[in-house]
Amino acid sequence: MSKRTDKFGDSISNLGIKLRDAPDNLRLAIIGAWRGRERGMAVFAGVFLASLVITTVLSYGVGLSQVFFEGSLETNVFDAKVEYKKAPKEGTDGWSNNTSVLLDICDELTLMEEFNDCTVIFGKKGLHSALNFGNEDIFKAMPLLMQEVNSSDELRNWNDEEIWDYEYTTGPPIADSRAITFLGPGAFDGVLADRLSEQIIYDMGEWVSAEEVESQRGVYIPSDIASEADAVVGDKLEFLTFNYFTDSDYIGEIEDDDCDGEIVYGSENGFMHCQHSMTVENLTILGVYEPWPQGNPTLSANPIYSTFHVLNETQRVTLIDNDHIFLGITLERSLLPTTSTDDAADWLEALGKEVNEKTYHDGEIELYYVDIISGTILFLNIFLGLIQAFDYIIMVPIVILSLSVLIYGLILSLEQRRREISIHRVIGATSSGLRGMVLLELAVIASIAWFIGYLLAMAAVPIVLSSVGFLQFKALGYTVNPAISFGATIFTALATLGLALLFGRSRARDFMELEIDEGVSRIQKVNKPKVWLHWTLLLVGSLGAIDTWMEMNGSEDGILTNWFVEGLINVFGPFMLWIGGALILGRVGASGPRMMQFFFRRTPILSDIKRGLKGSGSTESVSRLAVIMLLTLSIVTLAAVQGYTGTLVDERTADVTVGSDLQIITSETVNATEVESYIAEISGKDVSINAMHIPQISLIPEDGEALVAYVILDDSENILRWLPQAIPGDQISGALEGYKNGGFTAGADAAYKMDLWGSGRSGAGDSGDILLGVNSENTENKTFIWEDVQVEFVEDGPPVTPMSILEGYKGLMERNWSDLNLSNQNLSGRDLGKADFTNTDMSGANLQGANLSDSLFFNVNLTNTNLVGANLQNSIFVIMPDSLTMTNLSDSNLAGAYDATNVLNFNSIDSIQDAICPNGNDENGTACSDGFNPIPPPLALQFFAPSSNIQITSTPYNTTLRYIGTHEFIPGVATDLMESSVIIGESGYRALVGDETVDNISATTWFVSIPDVTGEDLKALRASIEADSRFESAMDWETKHEEVERNGGLIFGTPGLLSLQFIVASIAAVASAFVFLSLVLNQRQKELAVLQAIGASPNQIIRLVLFEILSIVMVSMALGVMLGMGLALSFNGLFNVFGFIFQLLGGTGGESSVITRELVWPWLELGIVALAVFTSVVMALLITTRKALRSDLASVLKGE
Amino acid sequence: MEKDVEYILEANALYHVYESKAEDGNVVALRGLHVKVKPGEAVAVVGPSGSGKSTLLKSLGGLMKPSAGNVSLYGQNMTRLTGPELVELRQKTVSFIFQEGNLLPHLSALDNVAQPLRHQKVPAREAKRRAMELLKDLGMEHRAKGLPATLSGGEQQRVAIARALITKPKLILADEPTGALDPITSREVISIFEKLHHEDNVSFLIVTHNREVAEFADRALELRDGRFIAEHGTDMEITDLTAGRELIIDDIGTISLPPDALVKLGGAGKFIIEEIEQGRLVLTGEKVKVDSFSKKSKLADSCVACGHDYGESSDELCPQCGAVRIKV
Repeated sequence: MSKRTDKFGDSISNLGIKLRDAPDNLRLAIIGAWRGRERGMAVFAGVFLASLVITTVLSYGVGLSQVFFEGSLETNVFDAKVEYKKAPKEGTDGWSNNTSVLLDICDELTLMEEFNDCTVIFGKKGLHSALNFGNEDIFKAMPLLMQEVNSSDELRNWNDEEIWDYEYTTGPPIADSRAITFLGPGAFDGVLADRLSEQIIYDMGEWVSAEEVESQRGVYIPSDIASEADAVVGDKLEFLTFNYFTDSDYIGEIEDDDCDGEIVYGSENGFMHCQHSMTVENLTILGVYEPWPQGNPTLSANPIYSTFHVLNETQRVTLIDNDHIFLGITLERSLLPTTSTDDAADWLEALGKEVNEKTYHDGEIELYYVDIISGTILFLNIFLGLIQAFDYIIMVPIVILSLSVLIYGLILSLEQRRREISIHRVIGATSSGLRGMVLLELAVIASIAWFIGYLLAMAAVPIVLSSVGFLQFKALGYTVNPAISFGATIFTALATLGLALLFGRSRARDFMELEIDEGVSRIQKVNKPKVWLHWTLLLVGSLGAIDTWMEMNGSEDGILTNWFVEGLINVFGPFMLWIGGALILGRVGASGPRMMQFFFRRTPILSDIKRGLKGSGSTESVSRLAVIMLLTLSIVTLAAVQGYTGTLVDERTADVTVGSDLQIITSETVNATEVESYIAEISGKDVSINAMHIPQISLIPEDGEALVAYVILDDSENILRWLPQAIPGDQISGALEGYKNGGFTAGADAAYKMDLWGSGRSGAGDSGDILLGVNSENTENKTFIWEDVQVEFVEDGPPVTPMSILEGYKGLMERNWSDLNLSNQNLSGRDLGKADFTNTDMSGANLQGANLSDSLFFNVNLTNTNLVGANLQNSIFVIMPDSLTMTNLSDSNLAGAYDATNVLNFNSIDSIQDAICPNGNDENGTACSDGFNPIPPPLALQFFAPSSNIQITSTPYNTTLRYIGTHEFIPGVATDLMESSVIIGESGYRALVGDETVDNISATTWFVSIPDVTGEDLKALRASIEADSRFESAMDWETKHEEVERNGGLIFGTPGLLSLQFIVASIAAVASAFVFLSLVLNQRQKELAVLQAIGASPNQIIRLVLFEILSIVMVSMALGVMLGMGLALSFNGLFNVFGFIFQLLGGTGGESSVITRELVWPWLELGIVALAVFTSVVMALLITTRKALRSDLASVLKGE
Repeated sequence: MEKDVEYILEANALYHVYESKAEDGNVVALRGLHVKVKPGEAVAVVGPSGSGKSTLLKSLGGLMKPSAGNVSLYGQNMTRLTGPELVELRQKTVSFIFQEGNLLPHLSALDNVAQPLRHQKVPAREAKRRAMELLKDLGMEHRAKGLPATLSGGEQQRVAIARALITKPKLILADEPTGALDPITSREVISIFEKLHHEDNVSFLIVTHNREVAEFADRALELRDGRFIAEHGTDMEITDLTAGRELIIDDIGTISLPPDALVKLGGAGKFIIEEIEQGRLVLTGEKVKVDSFSKKSKLADSCVACGHDYGESSDELCPQCGAVRIKV
């Protein structure tokens, strides 16, 4: 008992002594750290690097979530929708239908510091509950929907029935037509005006003041409406009619008697609504805006905007009474916590609660706050999690690197203290006291290093986040404050400082024991390195690299065929390769002098000093230097290769998606000259514009099945953004020359079908990315037949050209699915309404449940097609009778289906069970008694004269083309069908369809190259084109590229991390070469002094040292670059997988992510880094060697 | 911790073997040494290079464990002590002085001197005060802030002595304390030692080559090939160890003759025991001529360099040419 208290007392007094001595000990530790800074450098470097990297990764995560968050906020004009707490109802409290009361409440709300703008809005109905998944009230919150616009201007096209159709892509399907929103004066000044005016297209009106919009009765329309209606700013709209809703309920719940308006049914949501219309008069279009990406579904996306002053008092009251009223609020976003999305969600929730709990307008009004921002947060969190996981993985190497610099630094620094420690022991230091001393000094160095690294990381993160490519940075539009939480800060300290002290502790203990025992036994326990383990790591790790390399060089799936094993190797292989490789190759690097000696033994460089070289390179510190060189340079290589590859993949993805500078779709078929002149007119500049179309025709190879052929016109080289991956071989000009000279290429599937080389059909030798020359044994000539289908029109009435009817109807189609080979494809459930299937082969395809209404089946093969449950309402068939054999039409809806050729009957059809027949009856039999509908469907009626028939004749033309290899895609053309298609050149096309057709190509899809318009100008031009009525839609390279930069092959900021990795590893390479060398040479000072004492000249000594160290460094560097290349190869699998996931999630069209990650080798950058390392090594060597040479020989020799 | 002990340092049958992978195998540094030092006694150990002096010193000071044998310091058998106990014992009884100052390069002279007290957990202020006092005693207060690299060899050694003295040791183990110093500084150091020895009753065990240092000792032990072969009284002449030499016969009956003794004896060969009795052994081989002389060396009368006559002065430097006045 007493012993215990003694012990306790001891420890208390010990603590007291420690506290008392702390200042003095700390002073000595600081002095020691400063005066011994040379040996502390290595430790400093290690902790600094680790702290910099770890803090950066953590802080980057924070910053990334802020940037994502702010980016997603950009798509919101309104941050919150504030409604009446309960739906207005006569005789209840808490609401008012007086607009001025609402205006007052707006003012009241903006007094709260969290809100900075507010406006009264007539528009979407109240929800009065949270926007949650499963909340069916969402379907009752109907927007005001557009119905009709009358304009006195006859040139405008407001009467198109479909002009108001609009597909809402986010949120539940509430409505399917365009909404209209009447804004209060608050939207025309302040923050709201800023946000809304930003979207007004340049030169297409402006967002005017509240007074002006009121006096002019202004309207703002999105550019797609402007384009369809051919409307321009200044147009007068005499009438504008929209619908509001008095009642909404489940289908069947509203009786006709209860609704004095019109009953309408919701789209696919099981709701019905009682709809009324309301008309406003004499409006003026004041501007055209560029639609936002659809974001949070609380408000209807991209509506027509107008001012509520166009509504008269009665109309306002009616709308308010029916709950079509809310307040649009903007938040003071700077108050929003940006530390994490969770914090932001909490803050918003609290704010909503505060708004809900208060009463307004002297307690008369109660409000309900529907948050718009927090809805985006959930999705963000999932996405961010994935990105961060990936980022952590790619930062692992550099973290390991910094830790190894740290550990090696510690070992070296302790070795430098050998003498000092023995002195301390002699003057009576206990080993625990000594350890404490060493650790305290270490702690001083490490804390400073940690802190500097921490600060630097904070400064670096905004730069990393602003990266748009490898070593390319573009200013972010947001302010980022990537301060990490206190816990995370502690973590960085623990992971760097703590680790340094932990390693220091165990190392110092080992060291101390060694010192004490040394006298007794000179034999040290040397831990034999586990060479077998290193080799295993290296070998398993190389599997991934070899696999990637083989896949890059044409092998189908490399050596790893099991996907699970391949997945594991993809993730862990790189690290195994790296560690194993560094350790094994480090040994090779350390024996560099011996290798170099072999070459230089007999040269004058070495002849007189070769004796001095004996046995060098064996010391531990030298092999550590070799390992560090290997680690750093391999990371430099990895980062550079993957960074440049990622950047290039981004660019190529944009190239492949757009095809040229612009890809546009015109409203009507036009020819190239017309497109060019339109664009010249819109751009208003005198720039060179080249437009090109890629025609498609259906070709039948002799003895084969029809294929889709894409035609590469001769000027494609200057217009399309070709890349070597697309064409056979690596020479773009060579391949294009091949097309010009009557060559054709085939996709892998097409090659397989035609039995051509390159399909992989007969093993490994049967594939490759090679352009086949005339003399190649794999080339061959193929004859292709093109059937010129002519439609003859048999009619009783006045003569009408048959093609004009078909062309006219085609012009109404919204999807171009013509000339495709869709046989046996699975297209079940797809929405293919209003699709043009001219010349498409759909035999055996699965179209179960697909929407094919209003579609045109012209010369389509529907044999064996599964159309069970398909919607074929009002579709037009212009096909051969035998094209409908064995087709399954059970449960399908054929109401209104029309057979233009009048040759089809239902006898050949496999099943028509429960189908709705063309006459609208459910005949439930084996055939439809009335056959097809005798009257063309309403959409086509305008083109047909009554009782007319069409007859099809086809004339075959043929040509022979030479096979020049396999292709992958054409830039700008959807890639999903390229595998089963062929590409032919202009000459082949001319031979088939004739010069006349080729010289007058008219089409709707055009690729336009405008080399003089780039960057923001190109984006502005695209916006103007989109708003022009002559164009349906447009895509520009710049916008696509920005999208890909953010969401593409390499996710947002990852190039930044790779750049960081590159820079940090380069600096680490240079710095560690310097630090480690001076330590190594310090240790060898005595050896050098001895050499000098026995008569070696300074020149000889410098040569000796230079040769020895340089050969180690050079061999290690070369090996490091090689290891880095292997690493880049083996990491490729991982990058591929994540790149794919990001593209899917990023929503930039996963289907077009066909760019293979072909590694780019940036030799220049690697050369620069290697040169820098080399220079610093030579400098370090010269400085330290000179120091050694100048130092007092005697004192060096005399000393320990 | 004042207590009366018979011997402040006692070593019995010390053996030490350095294991080596070299061709000639292990090196035996100490071969069964006995040594005893009484409190207040100054003992010099003399011997040629490689005779095992440094190993002996380290073993005696508890810096390393000998392969066999035991060392008692202040009555405590060090081989039985645990690490911390050993350190504590050393802290209180023994200090080391080396040929080099062996100062801590990053600490000032003052901090260097105070460092042993810090290891003994003496408060920093107190430690510095005592360090300053000692430096003052040794005439070094003006260099207290200097770093070792800026001090001259003698100054460094004085700081080292101060560092050794600050723990108030009972015994000072010194390894060639004047080896790196010029003769005059050496004499200063020796006079410091003498003062300590006589006034503070500190025991010394000094490994040295220097005659003047050896003269300071009460007796000198001659070490050769890892064992003591002879002992000398106070009037030892280091250039000629024959005089006053007491040969040592060890437990197992080995007698090692110093080479000079062997030469005088007439070289290796066969000897007949002529007479043997308690404490007396007479060997006959060849006639031995004994030419003994013994006197304490004194300062030379004239300068060896320029021939200047010092006369009655006690100058240690020649006033004419600046050469050091040797002792004869």
